[in-house]
Amino acid sequence: MMRLSGLATGVLSAITLLVFVLLYGPLLIPILSSFFTVSHGDVQWREPSLSSYEALTHNAGILTAVGNTLIVGFSATLLSLIVGTLMAIHYCGGKSTGREVMQFAVYLPFLMPPIITGLSLLIYFREIGVPRSLLTVIAGHTVFVQALAFRTIVVRLQSLGPSMVEASADLGASAWQTLVHIILPNLRSTLVGAGVLSFALSFDETLITLLVTGTDNTLPIRLWALMRLGFTPDINALVAIIFGSTIVLCIIAVRQFLPAGSPALE
Amino acid sequence: MLFVGSARNGLGPCLLACVSYVLPAAFIVAPLASFTAYSFFRMENGQIVRDLNLGNYWRFFTDAIFVPVLWQTCVLCLATAFLATVIGYPVAFLLANLQGRRRHFLLLMVLVPLLMSYIIKIYAIRSILGGNGFLNRFLLWTGVIDQPLTLFVFNLNAVLLTLTVLLIPFAILPIFLSLERIPRSLIEASGDLGASNLQTFARIILPLSLPGVVTAATFVFVLAIGDFLTPQMVGGQSGFTFGRIVYSQFGTAFNWPFGAALSTILAIVVISVIAAGNLVQRRAT
Repeated sequence: MMRLSGLATGVLSAITLLVFVLLYGPLLIPILSSFFTVSHGDVQWREPSLSSYEALTHNAGILTAVGNTLIVGFSATLLSLIVGTLMAIHYCGGKSTGREVMQFAVYLPFLMPPIITGLSLLIYFREIGVPRSLLTVIAGHTVFVQALAFRTIVVRLQSLGPSMVEASADLGASAWQTLVHIILPNLRSTLVGAGVLSFALSFDETLITLLVTGTDNTLPIRLWALMRLGFTPDINALVAIIFGSTIVLCIIAVRQFLPAGSPALE
Repeated sequence: MLFVGSARNGLGPCLLACVSYVLPAAFIVAPLASFTAYSFFRMENGQIVRDLNLGNYWRFFTDAIFVPVLWQTCVLCLATAFLATVIGYPVAFLLANLQGRRRHFLLLMVLVPLLMSYIIKIYAIRSILGGNGFLNRFLLWTGVIDQPLTLFVFNLNAVLLTLTVLLIPFAILPIFLSLERIPRSLIEASGDLGASNLQTFARIILPLSLPGVVTAATFVFVLAIGDFLTPQMVGGQSGFTFGRIVYSQFGTAFNWPFGAALSTILAIVVISVIAAGNLVQRRAT
């Protein structure tokens, strides 16, 4: 951007380092502890062990919650990508007030605090007689991550422009053929990127989930319930595993959104 | 865009339009409508009575608790937004000035805490802040203090600190994006005309990145004001926020209509803040 002096770079780097200490410091304590023995609530720094990982494999409550979270995450991601693609194609098909209203409605759950999205779904499901379950959680998550999927797909479709689709139609392809052979291949990296981000958001979604969940808990809700009692050492192992997976997800997301050579990476 | 010529009037476009309008109507608009309707109902003997009245709103404005708590929460969230933006700006600025691998790495470092489990972060911060927490034990051990500090032990300060740490990444990204959008030619021209780095920053970069700063602050404010778990976890008895009151109406207090009215008021505050943010951005550009 500009040629920074040594002093400026030094000051900026120092501040950045401090921010990262704030952001990562709290996480490092449980992650480090996960590799040591914990007895009577104190970490024995001289006794490295993987016992907390072993304990985690026996914690049925947590494992079920992880399973539920994965089910919800995959369903919400898949749904939001499919519906997002369809809505984006419709949105890019022309200009009308209806389309703008639809876009605004899709963004609402992302603009409003999650507590409002959660409460409105809670009341609505009760009104139409749908009991709270993993299905209502999936609906809640889809509504929330939908905005992001829709937005990224619209941006990609608009940058593609209409010429390829028109050429495809001129050459005699049906709308379905154009969708399968032209649009979807061009959306591939966008769909992967949006999918990864949607999954990550869903995996961590807590506030909406807490309001619409039934008896089947997702991981954040399970952790929330456990936290009041204080965590057992196996939670440290879980924190380390989630930290590792988040890094992998972020690497994929950054690669997909910012392919090599994009201005943001140079 | 998919349908050209005669296909425009076929079954395909109709289906697309159906999906595009019916789903948001059923899962976003209808829930928000029923939620707003609830705010005009009332509770009687544990039953929801469906006659439209303004009783809930009347109670909000006349009861001595709610308006001050809302005000206090707004101040808290404004402070959070201010802190997160001020702390986030230098990081975003460094990020915008880095190149290649370093930039990639730093961006990743900002993204990981953004996507990392929220409950785990609150728990980790809580274990640092508590009376017997890591911070106090560390300060006692180093001899900086000889009595455990109570400044950050489960009160509004702790909520402010925790929310700021949680939301800094949300402030960094919009600022970074707005710095990215500043045309390089302007910065080069400023340098060519003899401006120092500091002058270029103060006269060119800072004003042009203000829209990003406003977006960042709005973002953080909205996320902070809607959070009801963080205050509950680190706020203790004194750290009462509006979000907690709203949530309690759906739990222990069990008064859904009143809770709906309170969150409608919350929504109005949020919409006003977003609108004010847009107004400031339009003035700035």
